[in-house]
Parts: sequence; structure tokens; C-alpha cells
Amino acid sequence: MFKAKRRLVVLAAAALAAVALAVVLLSGWAGGGNSGVTDVAGNPSAVLYSAGHRPVAPDFTGTTLTGSRLSFSSYRGRVVVLNFWGSWCAPCREEAPTLAVVAQQYRQAGVSFLGVDVRDNTASALAFVRDYGIPYPSVNDSGSVITLDFTAVVPIAGTPTTLVIDQTGHIAGAVFGTATYTELSDILAKVTGKAGTS
Amino acid sequence: MTDVRMPEAGPSGSPAAERDERGTGSPGRSADPAGSAFGLADWLRWGWRQLTSMRIALVLLFLLALGSVPGSMLPQEGTNPAGVQQYFTAHPALAPWLSRLGLFNVFGAPWFAAIYLLLFASLVGCVVPRTFRLAGSARMLPPRAPRYLTRLPRSAEYSTALPPAEAAEVSARVLAGHGFRLRRPADGVFDGHWVSAEKGYLREAGNLLFHLALLGVLVSVALGGLFGYKADRLLVQGTTFADTQSDLDEWFPGRLVTAADLGPFTITLNRFEASYITSGAQRGQPLSFDGQISYTAQPGGPVRSYNLQVNRPLSVDGAKVYLIGHGYAPVFKVTDSRGQVVYDQATPFISGSSGNFLSEGVVKVSGAQPEQLGFTGVFVPTAVEVNGVLQSAFPAADDPAVSLIAYAGNLGLNDGVPQSVYQMDTAGMRQLTAQPRLLLPGQSLKLPDGQGTITFTGYVPWVSLTITHDPGQLPALICGMAALGGLLLSFMVRRRRVFVRARAADQADPAHGSTVQVGGLARTDASGGFEDEFASLAAELRAAHQQAAAPIQAGHTQHEGE
Repeated sequence: MFKAKRRLVVLAAAALAAVALAVVLLSGWAGGGNSGVTDVAGNPSAVLYSAGHRPVAPDFTGTTLTGSRLSFSSYRGRVVVLNFWGSWCAPCREEAPTLAVVAQQYRQAGVSFLGVDVRDNTASALAFVRDYGIPYPSVNDSGSVITLDFTAVVPIAGTPTTLVIDQTGHIAGAVFGTATYTELSDILAKVTGKAGTS
Repeated sequence: MTDVRMPEAGPSGSPAAERDERGTGSPGRSADPAGSAFGLADWLRWGWRQLTSMRIALVLLFLLALGSVPGSMLPQEGTNPAGVQQYFTAHPALAPWLSRLGLFNVFGAPWFAAIYLLLFASLVGCVVPRTFRLAGSARMLPPRAPRYLTRLPRSAEYSTALPPAEAAEVSARVLAGHGFRLRRPADGVFDGHWVSAEKGYLREAGNLLFHLALLGVLVSVALGGLFGYKADRLLVQGTTFADTQSDLDEWFPGRLVTAADLGPFTITLNRFEASYITSGAQRGQPLSFDGQISYTAQPGGPVRSYNLQVNRPLSVDGAKVYLIGHGYAPVFKVTDSRGQVVYDQATPFISGSSGNFLSEGVVKVSGAQPEQLGFTGVFVPTAVEVNGVLQSAFPAADDPAVSLIAYAGNLGLNDGVPQSVYQMDTAGMRQLTAQPRLLLPGQSLKLPDGQGTITFTGYVPWVSLTITHDPGQLPALICGMAALGGLLLSFMVRRRRVFVRARAADQADPAHGSTVQVGGLARTDASGGFEDEFASLAAELRAAHQQAAAPIQAGHTQHEGE
């Protein structure tokens, strides 16, 4: 009788452990550590990566909307703002004026802007660039090949996504979703150590 | 959960360890025989017995089936969020309550998880003790031969010239030859000449395999739910997409799936062709769908080709890509008032319920100046006019045409609120053309007041792809097959025992021959047939005894002859 009871207790404990494990798995207790990442302007979708935690930006080459070849490696040594956008994307339209302004303000500070035009077609994209007075080039990424490369190092969930890449080619900051003026200028001020000039 | 054990068939002493653990499990049965108070431990034990009882397992299985019913009756958040919203609008009083009960997300609801986990616990609680029991039962020797074998359900008796010891020896050889497990009298203890034999241990193994496999099916399903994903993508001929969250139209990840788990493949649709039956009653029925694609398994990897068909998915990087639909994407070129080309692309139109690929879509020209332009349109692959209404006569693009209504104004895109590319909000727009305008390929529609021109330049096909990754699929299949195999084994294999006892015909002279009793019983004779098996075994034993006794008998005859 005693032995049977003990076996029962062991079984019950094993079952409880199994259930607990299942509950933990089902509730998605898979959050990773967020070391080296800080929020910008109180928004968790705008982040700064501290030195040592900055992912290496993959290199790419592509064709710009105006038809010339562009190699990302030619930007090495400069701070680059890489904006993933599409003319069909409503939030991209919302942030486009902000990007155009910040691009002008940080030109003096040596910051280059580069667009990655995702899932788009050239005629619509060029109309977008004209309408919003976008002063920087964009690379055609209609097949999302460049996006795919970057998704391997930062969690790009869609457009718009804006990455700030430092002089050494590491991703120093990111805005996942519509970038505001505050978020973008905060990140650039920290990465370049300079303020924008209007 | 089915218990495949049959009631004990015979009167043979079934050891206590083989008692059916999935009995009724009443408190009375498991209560302390001393009759002391029913304490917490007893309640726990009783609860555990209940949980692992077959009755509860069946109830849980039924609840699981019942619980998934609302999942198919009501729109679900995961698969049809728009449907959920519509339901809320249509039933403003009822919907919040259904939502509180988790009925719009059944498979993620706590009560559904509770049923699932309880069933899991019930199965584990049943199978684990069973494993131990089988291990014991598999090692166990048959019981000693009963004293009077003629009382068993099957028995035979005959005399042989062999002495009892030899008769038992010959019986053991015959039974062993039939694959029986044998038990003989222990050394040093003389309690007669007998053989116990048992066969059909595979039955318990089959039973256990069935239970373990069922458990495996549950684990596989959980595996799929946790680590699998499903995604949809509409792909226009001549374009490429990458299997990354930002480039998928819809993505339904499992609970432990993140965007980083998506296989980094890219697929280009080079060409898609659909063919249809052109005559007879079946006219318009599809004959074949054929998608020529090229793909790379990872960025920069080699480009491979594949011929995608309806039941011929592409396997790439652990995922399967299925061709599930197709349609037409008319190509439009729009110039605005300045003469700038502001739109030039294939625009997927979606075919609705009306047949023959009469498809609807919108063209949003957000870059047009001075105002944004929008068009709602209908594409027909084979245009016919029936009573002034444009219809499609055939699904193939034999005579394609579009019919457009033009709008100008504010598309509502600039506010930053995401929109569907298949719908247009005309609230901020005014209609430019009073009537829908029919365009054939190459034809243009000039908008009034020099607002621009739209040209229908042609069309290309598109396909809709579903990408699934279900790591539980193969294990579930294997487990399902194993469960079936186990069930068959446990149904078809009988456990049966055969005993042989040989007694000296003449107690004073054991060499004078013996009386052999053969008894047999099937412990679970579900499918019948033991009667015949026993009869043939008994006959074989008798023949073996006679054959072995032949030299003795011959000797006797010689003696008598002298």
C-alpha cells in the first residue's frame, strides 16, 4: 500500500511537471534578453544599440530608381540612414516629410540617407520621390532581397523601417514603424555626436 | 482513447498486477481497507484515478472535439480578423460575451488549453503505469499448470506409452516449436510432470504501442502549434518575393515562432499557365495549372527551377509552398495632368463569386498631380455583354477587357493609416466618369479636364501561394500509423495458455506409460479461433507422443513376442 502510494506521488509529480512545462511553452515564455538595446524617446519600437551590441549591416548592391548602380559599401565610413519604404505604404507617406527634413538637417553632419524601395514599381516610386521632395536616392528592392538580408540581423516586420548605420558599418539604431522627428534626430544626435543644422 | 483490453476470458488466476487500471476507479475501491477517514491524499489519489480513467479520457476527447466546433462556426481572430469585426458590428450585444469566452480565438483560449492539457495528463497517467505493467508482464512466465486440466475451457486427454517425464519433455519441445513461452517445474521441487506455455505477448505490446502513439500524435500536434507557421502571398508573374515577414501578405506564426524562424528563401514566378476544357458540358473546368518558378533557398544561393502545380508543392528550407489559387493582374499605365507617368504596373484583381474569373480591383495612383487618382475596375478574361452588363464567358483570357470608373481627390493614404491594396475609400474623392468605361488591351481612357490618361496595356497572371511549416506533420503521420498498427496487433493477437500434465498410468510402474492431459484457454478470445488452434495443438501433441513412443511400443511387442 505504502509503495503504491509512493509510486502514485512520483507519477503525479511527473504529470504536474509535464503540465507545467506545457503551460510554460504554450504561454510563449521565450522572451530573449534585451541587453545592449535601449529605447529612444520612450518608444520601444525605436531603439539604440550600444557599442558591442551593434549588428553588422549586410552589404548589398542594387539599381536605383533612376537606373544607376549603387553599392552600399561605397557608403562605408559615413553614418547612413537606411529607410525601407514603398509608395503603396500609407505610414511611409506619413513619415516621408520628416525624412526629407532630417536628411537636409544632417547633411552638414555628414549623414547620408538611402532608401530601399520595397515591393514597389518604379513609376509610382518616382512619383512618391517627386511629391515629397525626397533628396536622397533609393534602391529598387521589388523582390525584397535586400530586406531579407537585413532581416537576418534586425527584426524588420514591414515598411516603414529605418536603420541608422554607424561609420564602421554597424547598425546603431532602428525605428520599426513610422519614424518621428524626435526619434530620428535623437538617434542621429547620439550616433554622430552632433546636432542637425536647419 | 480507446481501451483495447477485453474482459478476462478465463478463470485462470490473473495476477493482481494485471488488473485493469482503467477501471471505474471509485473511491470505495481505492479507499483504505481499514475504513479510516478519506484524507487529502486519498482525495488526490482518487482524483488522479479519475483523471487517468478511460471514462474521463473519453469525456475530455469529446470536449476537445466539442470545443473546436465554435472555431469553425465563428470567425477566428487568427485567420479572419475582418470576419470578427463584422461579427461585432452585426451582433453588438452578443459578440463581447463570446469574445470574453474566447470563442473568437478558440485554439488560444485558456479553457481549450485546459482540456488539451488534461487530456494529455490523462494519457500520460494512463500510459506510464501501463509501460511498467507491460514490462513486468512481458518478463512474466506463465502460471504453473493447474492440477486438473480437464476443467479448463479446452482440454484433451489421452494415454501414451511414454513415461510421464518423457511425455512432458516431448510436449515442451512441441510447444516451444510453436513459439510458446514455457515454464517447467522448478528444480528440486517435484510436483508432477507438467509444462505451462503461453503465447501472444505481442498483444500487450500492441496495446502499449497504440497508447504511446496516441501520445505521440498529441505531442506532434503541439509541436506544429508551437513551432509551425502558415503564410500567404500573392505573386504576380515576373515578380519575386522573399519569405520574410515584411514581404508576406499574411503570416500566422505558431506560439514559439518568431520572424527570424522564417526560411530565407526567395521565389520568382517566371510563368503561369492555366488550361481549361473548351467544349462540352465541362466547358470552363480547369485542366491544369502550371507555375514555372525559380527559387533560391538562401540569399546568394544557387537558383533552382521548379514546376509548381496544385498538388505538387515546393519543399524549401523546411517549408512547403503550395499553389492554391490564381487570377489576373491587368497592367495599367497612368499619366497625370503634367504628362508624368505616375503609375505603370500590373495590378492584381481578385475574382469573386461570379464565375469565369470576373475579377475586381482598384488602382490607386497616389502620385498623380494635382490630385490623386483612383479607379475601381472589373477585369473579364473573355468579355461578353449580357443585357448591357459586362460578364465573362470563359476563364481563359481569350478576349480580355476592363471596365473602369475613375475618381479624383484624396485616397486617404497620406494620413498614415494602412489600407488594403484591394480596396479604395472613395469618401474623399469625386467620380470623374458617370458610366463605367470599357477598355480593351491598348485602349486608353482620357480623364476630363486634362486630369490625365489611363491605358490598359495588357495583363499578366498571378498565383496565390500558401507557405506552411509544420514540424509535427511527419511525426503525426508516423504516430498515426503506429497507433493503427498497435491497435491491429492488440485486436488480432490473442494471449492464450496451453498446459500439459502427464501422470503415470500405473503409479507403481512409471515406465509403463502415462495419461496425458492437455488444457488450454484463451485469455482474450475476441476474434475466436482458439478452439481450432487448441484442437490442432492437442492432435499434434498426441501424434508427437505416439511417434516418440513407437520404439517403446515396438520393444514391448518384441517382449511379448518372445
